[in-house]
Amino acid sequence: MRPLDEKETTAVFEKIFKFTGNNLKNIVENPSHEGPDKEPGRYCFRLHKNKVYYVSDSLVKRATNVARTKLASIGTCVGRFTHGGNFHLTIECLNLLAANAKHKVWLKPTSEMSFLYANHVLKGGLGRITESIAPGDGVVVFSMSDLPLGFGVAAKSTQDCRKLDPNAIVVLHQADIGEYLRMENQHEHIIEE
Amino acid sequence: MGKGKGKGKQRKQIILPPELPPEIADDDIEVSDEDLKFLDENKDYAGFVSRLDTHSINKQVTRVEGVNEDALEALYEKRRRKTLEHKENEKSVVQVDPVDALPVKSLDGEVYYRTFSQTAEVTENEGDIDKSVVKLTKAERRAKLKKTKKEAKKMGKELAKTEEVQPTQQEAALAEVKEDLTAEEAFEAKKRKLAELGMALLADPEANIKSLKEMLQFAKDGDHSIVKLGLLSLLAVFKDIIPGYRIRLPTEKELEMKVSKEVKKMRFYESTLLSAYKGYLQKLLALEKQPRFHHVVVRCICTLLDAVPHFNFRESLLVAVVRNIGSSDDVVRRICYSTIKSLFTSEGKHGGEATVEAVRLIADHVKVHDCQLHPDSVEVLMSLSFDDDLGKPEVQEGNNKMKNKKNKKRKNFEESNQPQGNDRKRSKQETIAKMKEEVAADYKAVSYTPDVEERKRMQSETLSAVFETYFRILRHTMQSSVASSEANGNIISDGSGAHPLLAPCLSGLGKFSHLIDMDYIGDLMNYLKRLAARGSSSDSSAQKVQNLTVSERLRCCIVAFKVMRSNLDALNVDLQEFFVQLYNLVLEYRPGRDEGEVLAEALKIMLCDDRQHDMQKAAAFIKRLATFALCFASAESMAALVTLKQLLQRNVKCRNLLENDAGGGSVSGSIAKYQPYGSDPSLSGALASVLWELNLLSKHYHPAISTLASGISSMNSAQNQVYISISPQQAFKNLLLEAESFRYNQQGCTQKSNKRKGRSIALASTLASVEPPPIDENEVSKKLRRHFILLRDIKENERLRGELDRTASALLLYEEYKKQRKPATLTNKKSKKAKTTVGM
Repeated sequence: MRPLDEKETTAVFEKIFKFTGNNLKNIVENPSHEGPDKEPGRYCFRLHKNKVYYVSDSLVKRATNVARTKLASIGTCVGRFTHGGNFHLTIECLNLLAANAKHKVWLKPTSEMSFLYANHVLKGGLGRITESIAPGDGVVVFSMSDLPLGFGVAAKSTQDCRKLDPNAIVVLHQADIGEYLRMENQHEHIIEE
Repeated sequence: MGKGKGKGKQRKQIILPPELPPEIADDDIEVSDEDLKFLDENKDYAGFVSRLDTHSINKQVTRVEGVNEDALEALYEKRRRKTLEHKENEKSVVQVDPVDALPVKSLDGEVYYRTFSQTAEVTENEGDIDKSVVKLTKAERRAKLKKTKKEAKKMGKELAKTEEVQPTQQEAALAEVKEDLTAEEAFEAKKRKLAELGMALLADPEANIKSLKEMLQFAKDGDHSIVKLGLLSLLAVFKDIIPGYRIRLPTEKELEMKVSKEVKKMRFYESTLLSAYKGYLQKLLALEKQPRFHHVVVRCICTLLDAVPHFNFRESLLVAVVRNIGSSDDVVRRICYSTIKSLFTSEGKHGGEATVEAVRLIADHVKVHDCQLHPDSVEVLMSLSFDDDLGKPEVQEGNNKMKNKKNKKRKNFEESNQPQGNDRKRSKQETIAKMKEEVAADYKAVSYTPDVEERKRMQSETLSAVFETYFRILRHTMQSSVASSEANGNIISDGSGAHPLLAPCLSGLGKFSHLIDMDYIGDLMNYLKRLAARGSSSDSSAQKVQNLTVSERLRCCIVAFKVMRSNLDALNVDLQEFFVQLYNLVLEYRPGRDEGEVLAEALKIMLCDDRQHDMQKAAAFIKRLATFALCFASAESMAALVTLKQLLQRNVKCRNLLENDAGGGSVSGSIAKYQPYGSDPSLSGALASVLWELNLLSKHYHPAISTLASGISSMNSAQNQVYISISPQQAFKNLLLEAESFRYNQQGCTQKSNKRKGRSIALASTLASVEPPPIDENEVSKKLRRHFILLRDIKENERLRGELDRTASALLLYEEYKKQRKPATLTNKKSKKAKTTVGM
């Protein structure tokens, strides 16, 4: 487990910035109330076995007691670095993103399941959409009752959405909470590793 | 004349005061010829009759009568009217009587002239009325003129006579009167001439068309009132005789052609009319710049534009009207405003062309004046109406045509399949169809209604001009504020003064929001967003930007929502930025300064009408509105509470705020603590707080608010309630109206709260700390007024007393001075001597 180097930090922050905009500041400066300390600590990003974790300081300190090979996971997993050096967000960071999201899309109840099976968000399934989304922005997907379902990348701007036909793709799927069930084995496999 | 009899009657009245004799109308009293003769012969006797003061006599009688006051008053009125009638009758008698009767009046010269001139005026007025109401025939008019001339001659003779008779001391006065008379006569003559010409024109415009030029000459007169009269009478004439079509002067080729007499006559008539009209307009436009004629000219122009918008030279009229629509003169502006408005609303008169032109001119006007105009000049655009269904009938027609074609084809096909025997029949059908087409084309050409294509084109042109104006204003508001802030950041702008056109522009955008082109919406929203964000603390700290007022920024939000809603029925866009603005604007709102209606409208449109809300956002708004309701007047807090209630009804999860444990549990999200000063509603962490404000509000002095607040706080426990929801706007209005009547009841309320204070001091003190005890402003102002009146009286008294003392002492001094005068003269001399010695 080690702190991110400069290159890695920019990669991670750029990715998160796409979703949260200026609210990235809130994520970094979020006070943590874990541990015995009276003073609230900070959260930080740690890299462990290609994965990036969002952990409070006090937890990091206590985690040093565990051998690196034995440490399966710590704090919240935000994403992982691919072999090519790219950074991918994973579904575990959904809550972090949802709380600070800048661009949101709400799904109609009928199209929720489709999205939870890793399909893209179509215009017909759109219940509501935040104004001023540009193509390429990170978008967090919610159900109509404000439950975060996943996230993706906007394929079209809000303005363009108007003229689209109902079958056009609005948000490209990246991750959804269906993965917890669909990829249960894979996750276990990773943890066992 | 009935005066002899009347005299006796009046005497009788004096003798028998309690009972009034039956009122006899003057007409009823018969005058025998003998009486008249007697009067003629003995003029001296008649003199006292004319001097008889009937009015005072009547007065005496009524005073004696002693009825109750109301009856008395009515009686007085009656009397007065009667005497007036009497006088008038006298005058008419004078006019109608034979020549011999006149000298009766000539005994006292001045009375004579006055009455005569009055009678002359009366007759003239009558003549005017006659002219305007009934068209006199020429013969009649001539007779009348002769009559008046005769009378004038007579008067002249008598004048000479009386001058000889009159003593010299009255000569000066007479001369003056004469001068006045001649000036007045000239004026009257001109007036009469004008009226005559006008009447003639109206009676037979074709024959008298040449007199238009004569009338036009009057407008060049030196006398201002004559010029005005000339302009106005020309206006009346033009309004009447201008034909319902546009005159097209014949081309040279057409002139060369031989035409019948009638056509020639017609051509002459039209060309004269047109040239006179042109001259008139030029005169109007020339006089418009002179402040003396400004009102009259503007009125003329507006009436013309209103009456004959289809006629030639409409453009110059329009230009003049649009130029004056932003005038600082209220009267002028209002006339222009209503003219343009009627132009917009009655498009049938001119087929819509004038509308396009007017809108274009307004757009140019705004451009030239750099958006610094009176709001009226843009508000006019609100009265435009656009036909949404314009495209539809055409489409249907097209469909029909297609169908017809298909039918025809099918028929043809069938027919062609049939043997050739039907050839004749088919040709017959074809000819019939051809005929029909021709007839339809002719009808189209003749009928005034422009075809759909044309109307569509004009409408789109109008729309583009309107939106060009609106966008220009928006852009200007943005740029100007930035520029001026760069120039000097110290300007404290009073919003509406700096951007006078913004408010009507925003309301216009709201009204026509459904007509905006999709492509513009993005830019429009961008502008609105930036305008709404203008003046927020984060911006102005970096750079002193000229702030818009809270109301204007609220309006921006409202317009954005309207635009979005009317254009995107299918797509539900979440306007987060505007919610952020509203969230912050609620804090900046001040009851006296900003418009409560706008706030209530914003609350309704943004929070109540939007069905879906973020849980976090809704909670933040609920919390902020509750805080807001604590600090402001009853009307505003009522609006806020109504909104709050609706938000709570929709968002079941937000009812956690009503529970009595802070922290919010799992729903509170990432922010564990409520941040009351946060600017982003979704990051405020409002769910971690408790709505303690409702508890205080349930003890609000206003009963409606307290019941509503307690109702909301018990919402969680009482499930399945039937909610009666009214809009915040409605609530705001209700309470605003109620506020007046409520003030009178407040004394009782304060007493109650005093009682409560007795029971639980702590509670009442908290209450008092949150909301100061209600003060009856009327009462306070009354007391203050009384106090100051008293103070002023005391001061006045002191001043008067001082003056009195001073005058008294002065008098005393004066008396002393008188007493000492004799010795004083001596001393004076001595002192003079002493002075001279000193001087030497």
